[in-house]
Amino acid sequence: MAELDDIIHQPLRLKIMAALNALPAEVGLEFVRLKKLTGATDGNLGAHIETLAKAGYVSVDKAFVGKKPQTTVTATAVGRGAFARHVATLQEIIAGRQG
Amino acid sequence: MIDSKQASEALTDIEDTVRRVRQSQIYQVSSLALLMWGVLACAANIAGWFWPRYGLYIWLGAYAVSAVGLVALSAYHRSKSRIRVFDGRYFLTFALIAAFGIFVCYFGQFTARQQTAFWPIYIMLFYMMAGVWFGYAFLIIGATIVALTLIGYFYIPGISLLLWMAAVNGGGLTLGGLWMRRN
Repeated sequence: MAELDDIIHQPLRLKIMAALNALPAEVGLEFVRLKKLTGATDGNLGAHIETLAKAGYVSVDKAFVGKKPQTTVTATAVGRGAFARHVATLQEIIAGRQG
Repeated sequence: MIDSKQASEALTDIEDTVRRVRQSQIYQVSSLALLMWGVLACAANIAGWFWPRYGLYIWLGAYAVSAVGLVALSAYHRSKSRIRVFDGRYFLTFALIAAFGIFVCYFGQFTARQQTAFWPIYIMLFYMMAGVWFGYAFLIIGATIVALTLIGYFYIPGISLLLWMAAVNGGGLTLGGLWMRRN
């Protein structure tokens, strides 16, 4: 029986992973765009990205574009796999095989 | 463990986020195209006001620059995001839209003034249709430009209509592009 991924299941982290997973592999989203897409605040988004990064689900790249710092978040292969399994588990629950 | 209702809500959240990401990608590249078309429409209308006899050539030139610009924007966006937004089907679609517009002008025997109003209204019809599918921004931009074009057509006399259209069509598309980048 598949288990829900506790790290991904938190609502904001689920949105972050869904947004990153919608992009091609190795393509990331800038922090500002991720904030707009998820509707999160700076602090909240930063904390949840850190949790995902600690689990190895996302990588965080910080760089300077001109004089502006730019943070890009990308889903790792491990994160994409975990997200796919999490979605499959959700679908199983809806289909009545779990829960 | 969660129940099926909560699982369904989580999946809806995922679908909603994916939809927003795709919409954001479309907005990102479309906004650049809008800015380009805004500048071109403004320049072509002003050039037409200065040299009315060469209006046809000015607009053919503007469309040619627009086609090349679209290819460049598409290539730029693809190199940055690795997502292909425009492909050959889009260009064929644009060509068919332009061809239909030319047929309408030819069979309808439109005057230069009628054509000045017809083309923005005709193009904005497709913006509004795109708005129904891809996001309300297209719908609002299209409807606003159509309304302002009609006001100009009925109330701005003579060749001054071209200056009105430079502001309305060019300015409207440019502002629309800037607004879309913020959404």
